[in-house]
Amino acid sequence: MDSHKTVTTSTGGSERFAVPASRYDFKQLADIYNQARVDYIVPMPMNARRMEEYVHTYDIDLDASVVALNSERDPCGVGMVGVRGDRTWITRLGVIPERRGYRLGQYLMEQMIESSLHINARRIQLEVIVGNEPAYRLFQKLGFVETRILLIVRRPPGQMPAHPLYDAATVTEIAPADIPAYLEQREPGASWVEETQSLLNARQLCGLHLELPSGERSWIVFQRTPFQLTHFVLGPASMEATGALLHHVHRAYPNQDTKIENVPEQDRHWPAFQEMGYMEVFRRIEMVLELR
Amino acid sequence: MSSIVIIEDNEQNARMAAKLLRRADYEVVIAEDGETGLTTVFEERPDLVLIDLGLPDIDGQTVIALIRQQPELEHIPIIAFTAWPEATAHDMARAYGCDGVITKPIDTRQFADQVAGFIASARAE
Repeated sequence: MDSHKTVTTSTGGSERFAVPASRYDFKQLADIYNQARVDYIVPMPMNARRMEEYVHTYDIDLDASVVALNSERDPCGVGMVGVRGDRTWITRLGVIPERRGYRLGQYLMEQMIESSLHINARRIQLEVIVGNEPAYRLFQKLGFVETRILLIVRRPPGQMPAHPLYDAATVTEIAPADIPAYLEQREPGASWVEETQSLLNARQLCGLHLELPSGERSWIVFQRTPFQLTHFVLGPASMEATGALLHHVHRAYPNQDTKIENVPEQDRHWPAFQEMGYMEVFRRIEMVLELR
Repeated sequence: MSSIVIIEDNEQNARMAAKLLRRADYEVVIAEDGETGLTTVFEERPDLVLIDLGLPDIDGQTVIALIRQQPELEHIPIIAFTAWPEATAHDMARAYGCDGVITKPIDTRQFADQVAGFIASARAE
C-alpha cells in the first residue's frame, strides 16, 4: 500500500478510512492495539518498547499495516502485516470494542490482503486463538484455510533434579558467531514467529551442543532475555537427546521463566517438553491464503 | 490497615478494584506494568499482591516468578487477577506459585471479602 494513500469506504451509513500504520508512533500503535484487544481471550497488551521490538523482530511493514478510522478520524482498529520475501503474515488484528459493528474486522483484513497483493505476495499466513470464533469465521470467509494447531507453552522457573543419563552427556556452549550456521540445519516448518529470521532479528541467542554417552549429538538454540527463555529451536534429535538438551538449558538457567510460542501440536519433541515441566497455556490455529 | 499492590494495566479494572478495596479500609497502590509492579512490591512489602497475567512489558507469570524468587517477599500472597478461562488461570496460578485466582470481571459485592479471605489464609499458615 502507498504510505500516503487513504482508503475511504462507506458501509451502513458510516464512513471509514484506512491509513498506513506508519503514520503512528509505537506508543500510539500500542494504545490502539491494547484498546482493541482488551476483551480478548488472551489480551497480550504491549507497551511502546514491546511494540517496537515486535515490529523489528517479526519484520512488520508499517506501510503495509493498517489503522482504521471512523468519520471523526478516531482510530477504530489495527492490523499489522509482516513481510518476508513473497510471503506476508497478518497479526495484531483488533477492533476497539465500542467502535465495532461496521464490519471493521473484515475491512481491515481486506486492506491487508490488498497490501499483500500490492507487494506481489504469493501467500498470506496468520494465526487465530482457538475459541475466537468470529475471527476464525471471518478468515474462512476470506478464503483462509486451516493448516495446523500450534501450542503456546510455558515452564515456570525451578531447579532441575539430577538425571543420571542426561547428566552424563557432554555439553558445550555454541559460540554466538556459529549460531546462524546451526539454524541453517534446522528442520523446516517453523511458524512465522519462530522462523530463523525472527530469531536472528531478536538477537540475545544462546546455544548448547550435546553429545550423549550413546554417541548421539544434537543442539539447541534459544533466546535468553533478562527475564525469560524463549524461541527454542532444536536440531534433529531423539526424545532422549531432546530431554537432555532441555535438562541442561534449565539446569543452566533455573531462575528463568520460559515461554515458547507456536509449538506444532504434532511436534514429536512435545512429550519431552512435558516431561521437563512444560504446560500448555493456549492454542492457535494457523491459517493460510494462497494468492497465486 | 492491610496494604495491597494491584499490578494491572487496564486503568478501568485497576480503579474499580482499588475503589472497592479502599472502601473496605485497605491501603492500595496501583502499578500499571510488570516492572513498576516489581519495584512497588519491593518498596511496599504489601500484605497481598493482585496481579493481571497479561501485562504490557513483562508477562504476569514472569513477574510472579521474580517475586517468588526473593526470600524477603516469598511470604506475600499473590492472587492472579485475570479474565483467562478459569481452568487455564488456575493451572497457571498453581504452577507459578500463586495463592489463588480472582476472575474478571470482578463480583463487586464479593471482591473485598475474597481478598480478605486470601489475606486471612496467608496469615493462618
